[in-house]
Amino acid sequence: MIAIIDYGMGNLLSVRKAFEYLGEETIVISDPQQLQEASRVVLPGVGSFPDAIMALSAKGWLDVLQRQIVEAGKPFLGICLGMQLLADEGEENYPCKGLGWIKGKVKRFLLTDKGLKIPQVGWNEIRPTGNSPLFQKIREGDTFYFVHSYHLVCGDEKDIAAKCHYGEDFVAAVQKDNIFATQFHPEKSQDNGIKILKNFIELKA
Amino acid sequence: MKICSRCMTPETHETIMYDEQGVCNVCRQHEVKKEKIDWSSRLQDLEVLIDQYRGKFDYDCLIPFSGGKDSTYAVYKLVTDYKVKPLVVSFDHGFLRPQTLENNTRTLRKLGVDFLKFTPNWHVVRKIMLESFIRKGDFCWHCHTGIFAYPMQVAVKHNVPLIFWGEPSAEYTSYYSYDNPEEVDEKRFNRCTNLGITAEDMQGMLDGSVSMRDLAPFMYPKLKDLRKVGYRSVCLGSYIPWDVKKHVEIITREIGWQGDDVEGVPPGYRYEKVECMLQGVRDYCKFLKRGYARVSHLSSIDIRNNRMGKDEAERLVAQYEGKRPASLDYFLSLLGISEEEFNEIIKTHVVSPNEWRETSLLPMGDMLPDQPLWPKAVEVSQAKICPLKVIGDKNLQGEENDRDHRLWDGKSAVGAESL
Amino acid sequence: MLKKRLIPKLLLMEGRTVKGVAFGNLRDVGNPVTNARIYNAQGADELIFLDITASQEKRGILYDIIAQTAEECFMPFTVGGGVRTLDDVRRLLLAGADKVSVNTAVVENPDFMREAANRFGRQCMVGAIDYRQDDNGEYRVFTHGGTVQIDKDPLTWAFELQELGVGEILLTSIDRDGTNQGLDLEITREIADAVDVPVIASGGVGTLAHLAEGFKEGHAAALAVGSLFHFTDQSPIKCQFYLKGEGIDVRIGQ
Repeated sequence: MIAIIDYGMGNLLSVRKAFEYLGEETIVISDPQQLQEASRVVLPGVGSFPDAIMALSAKGWLDVLQRQIVEAGKPFLGICLGMQLLADEGEENYPCKGLGWIKGKVKRFLLTDKGLKIPQVGWNEIRPTGNSPLFQKIREGDTFYFVHSYHLVCGDEKDIAAKCHYGEDFVAAVQKDNIFATQFHPEKSQDNGIKILKNFIELKA
Repeated sequence: MKICSRCMTPETHETIMYDEQGVCNVCRQHEVKKEKIDWSSRLQDLEVLIDQYRGKFDYDCLIPFSGGKDSTYAVYKLVTDYKVKPLVVSFDHGFLRPQTLENNTRTLRKLGVDFLKFTPNWHVVRKIMLESFIRKGDFCWHCHTGIFAYPMQVAVKHNVPLIFWGEPSAEYTSYYSYDNPEEVDEKRFNRCTNLGITAEDMQGMLDGSVSMRDLAPFMYPKLKDLRKVGYRSVCLGSYIPWDVKKHVEIITREIGWQGDDVEGVPPGYRYEKVECMLQGVRDYCKFLKRGYARVSHLSSIDIRNNRMGKDEAERLVAQYEGKRPASLDYFLSLLGISEEEFNEIIKTHVVSPNEWRETSLLPMGDMLPDQPLWPKAVEVSQAKICPLKVIGDKNLQGEENDRDHRLWDGKSAVGAESL
Repeated sequence: MLKKRLIPKLLLMEGRTVKGVAFGNLRDVGNPVTNARIYNAQGADELIFLDITASQEKRGILYDIIAQTAEECFMPFTVGGGVRTLDDVRRLLLAGADKVSVNTAVVENPDFMREAANRFGRQCMVGAIDYRQDDNGEYRVFTHGGTVQIDKDPLTWAFELQELGVGEILLTSIDRDGTNQGLDLEITREIADAVDVPVIASGGVGTLAHLAEGFKEGHAAALAVGSLFHFTDQSPIKCQFYLKGEGIDVRIGQ
């Protein structure tokens, strides 16, 4: 059973539909106590970094996530803002502490090329950098759908699972043990995205 | 027009792209097929796949069958070499030629297989043919969809999960590649088979006289029903390297399959697309739309396989391509349209940079020996051409729109949407 | 690099897809859910649904269509047409839309866009500009499905929309819509070069060469296409191969 965390930040429908398309049972949960039953956990998210952290904290998610994911080791997938929240700190609107699972900070794109617009909206090529099981059967140059103005700057190179380029190189995905996250939206990236979700389902718990 | 520096396929061919050397992506795929694919391990995959399903259902597999060289070879190969018990399924598009019908009877009797054939309602087919011709410059929607959807429905109904098709599409186009073998599923159906029109779409495009029940044979089964039977729908050509000329030799020798004359094609290609009466008109449409036809296509395959030089190919193309087929009159009588109407429709589908050419200046092709034997057109009440009905002159707010449409004369619906 | 996008634009009317010329003379072009499934299989980069259903009672069909589309199509959707309130935006996003396109409502009430962008994020909000030449040959913005002229030229309005917080601009030439005569390259380029948000150009694409022009000469980030896909046998993937061959950085959809 895949739990999709609903903390009021954006629409969870497409993530749920994508897992159901793959034949998985899903449950959308807004009560941290329900996390216990899940074998895998997905944290989506659209919105601003401080709002998201406040929402997670207000509903009592922080401790439960720490126990179930970091300590008990359940496979976890963060998507878009759900990846950025894993950092130590974000700078969107004002400096704000993140979950601190992945060493690094979330920064706004510093674009010098006037042709590039913020947010980055659209399909971009990624380059898997390690051997993360999340990127099995994904090749360098495969495209994924991105919508974001901020990106995670990793403090530890070995947490990076894939990179992408938009005016500058930036981190497209991270992995640290059982914790996986993508800046792009696999649930909006057609077949390549479905492959990523399938890889996530097939990870050994 | 740009052409491939190797096989001479022109830029109006679908999904074509040329690299720095001017070589097209289909030629590059061919290199992958010849050099990069480990065919011996693919062969093992095939055995494993067949064994997974063998003996577990009423049939070991289902083989969609037209009676052309590719599906005939698929049945022959699977029955003879792999000893499967197949259910052979044929969707009769309505235009099977006498020689093909004879071939089919012989093939099925020699190989000893169960055979199921379905023929859709001619009144419905006729309306669909005209509609798809107007919309897409291709009158074969009923055939494209029926051939790929109907056998899948049979697979669900008879619980035969393994389906074998013939050659993979990477042989001719770049929708899929050899290193990433295609599944012949609904996605492929929508991607490159059904002209971008589903049965649900078609129903509302027609005049209201055709129901969803009438269109059921052309509908892809629901994903959940296919998954319930645990389907796998693959190309035999993803497992064994497809070599048409060799396959034709084998089926001719072993089961007496016979080729036939095809309009606008040199005698050396008496094996290709022999099954359909409308092939000549189909190729003619392609010529008018894209500026090339079957001889270019067939010679490009021979060039790729080092069986023909470019000079010879150019000579054959010049000699055989670009004739008005004798069967055009037959086609026009079936649909009840005039040659002027035919031309008006196809004119709207010319793919740039190819340009429309005056058809009255084209030489006439010879009539096929069997054409006099083809079934005559039957008088059917709907005969009037009804191009792309306008469903109301509403503007975006849904109010009646009385604005003068400067760019639209409101009458020649066909001509207005030119490509 | 970020890819140039090719986006089928579907007009919905009472549960069917339609297409016309210069915003009139509509013809049936299919079922929106199966249309979407086809474009998904053909590797389209996104989809735009614009609902032109006349009566509000029948608007419910739209939510249903969006939800059904989301079952099997894993790609971004923009939905628009008749969006007037924050609640309209919220409901569309909940039904499965990723972005919402707004036209008339912003002209009538600019604060609406400001609030929507604040609440849902500017990446969710698309500002649609329909324009044509008026009787004096001046380019003017139109609302209400191309029937009401506003005293603004498209460039000025594009800047204002950007200020109000739109994340993208969907620019449509009414005069060229459905005519297959090619995009309005001049206006497209003028606006695409001037604003900081991506411009999706539409209206007039009839050949493959028109697509290449839209990117090369119109400087559009994306092109929205209707007639070319509805009334010829072109498809997104065929167009992507062509554009890539022309040196334009598009993806080949999988």
